[in-house]
Amino acid sequence: MVNGYAPTSLQEALTIRAAHAVIPYAGGTDLMVQGRKGVFLFLNKIDELRRVTVDDDYIRIGAGVTFTEAIAHPDVPALMKEAVSGIAAPAIRNAGTFGGNLGNASDKADSVLIEYVSDALIRLQSITGERLVPTDQFILSRGVNALHDDELIVEVLLPRAAFDAQYSYLKVGGRNALAISHIAFAGLYDSEGGRVSRLSAAVIADAGTVLRFRDLEQQLVGLSVDDARQQKEIFLSAFGERIVLGRGRVSGEYRKAVSLNLLRDFLDRFLG
Amino acid sequence: MEPIRFILNETDVTYDGDATARLLDVLRDTYHCKSVKCGCKEGECGACAVLLDGALVNACCVAMGAVDGRRVMTVEGYRETERFQVLSDAFAELTAVQCGFCIPGMVLAAESVLSHNPHPTEQEIRVGLSGNICRCTGYNAIVNAVKKASEEANGLW
Repeated sequence: MVNGYAPTSLQEALTIRAAHAVIPYAGGTDLMVQGRKGVFLFLNKIDELRRVTVDDDYIRIGAGVTFTEAIAHPDVPALMKEAVSGIAAPAIRNAGTFGGNLGNASDKADSVLIEYVSDALIRLQSITGERLVPTDQFILSRGVNALHDDELIVEVLLPRAAFDAQYSYLKVGGRNALAISHIAFAGLYDSEGGRVSRLSAAVIADAGTVLRFRDLEQQLVGLSVDDARQQKEIFLSAFGERIVLGRGRVSGEYRKAVSLNLLRDFLDRFLG
Repeated sequence: MEPIRFILNETDVTYDGDATARLLDVLRDTYHCKSVKCGCKEGECGACAVLLDGALVNACCVAMGAVDGRRVMTVEGYRETERFQVLSDAFAELTAVQCGFCIPGMVLAAESVLSHNPHPTEQEIRVGLSGNICRCTGYNAIVNAVKKASEEANGLW
């Protein structure tokens, strides 16, 4: 085809990717709006990218799985379903993919928020090998990711243990059927024997990347729930100091205030 | 160079143009499917919605290379079906059409809702049509028309 390749296997796609300057095309919902010119590598015929599988440690979502397919799949965790159900409208969810959300490296991608908070890994493949990259090392800044020119995003590995935890999720957008996130929050929490065993919190706030601060989380993990509750204000204050927001669709002050309110609700819910 | 082959409204077609061209533009300019409206070109208004392998998509956000080997349905094809007739009658009876610009997309969105769920609730219809913007009707008449079509379909969906 003119200005396009439509391989039917991953191996064929990787060979084309290595040999030619091509733009990977997944669902098209961002790429076509951006109006990028070039030669497209169409990935929709590759069955290997369109599967959801489960092993002992991970739920693996293929890069070509659409949000609609994920919502209908029994193995996709409820938190991920909730997040991607809020993406735009049915026509976008029918086309948009997990790989596309990552390839686009938007700092407002709803599926990527859940990948951040759950410590998901991104599997990248080239004809010479593969890499497993943590989400926060894959997304480098708004619109920039760590994908090499000869690689494709193959699948997202969601750690099963993270989705056994309790969660909070909330998205604040414009109207439901457009709903590019102004702010979205996801938090995971678990306790064992009266101690905090898992606490992670990630925020979309138009900040260049999703915000998550592991060092702050680690100050609460391992504490008794009572002690963690005592540390709540310190945690919130430290988190707030690190939210430095530039210009965005809505004001930075609003985004920061709402982010901290959502974080406070999360901590109140689980720590009391 | 292999052309792009796909099925448009139940007819095999061959497209030998640019694989990065928008499906929206090719449907209107090459295949004269003028029911597919150009509203926003950003995937936000639903005026260009078509069925791709039976799933609702915005034609402005689909490149031609992605339709190779697939089935595309626009209202030019859908209007030949009994299902269309039921929807058309319901839309007419409840005055669900004013300027009409959004209606081809609305009708295909309705088909998408009903083909997955023949007896949707009002809320399910609203979710199904949520990506289709209408600036005239205030939506209620359209939602009621889809509900009416579902009740009078007699097993069509």
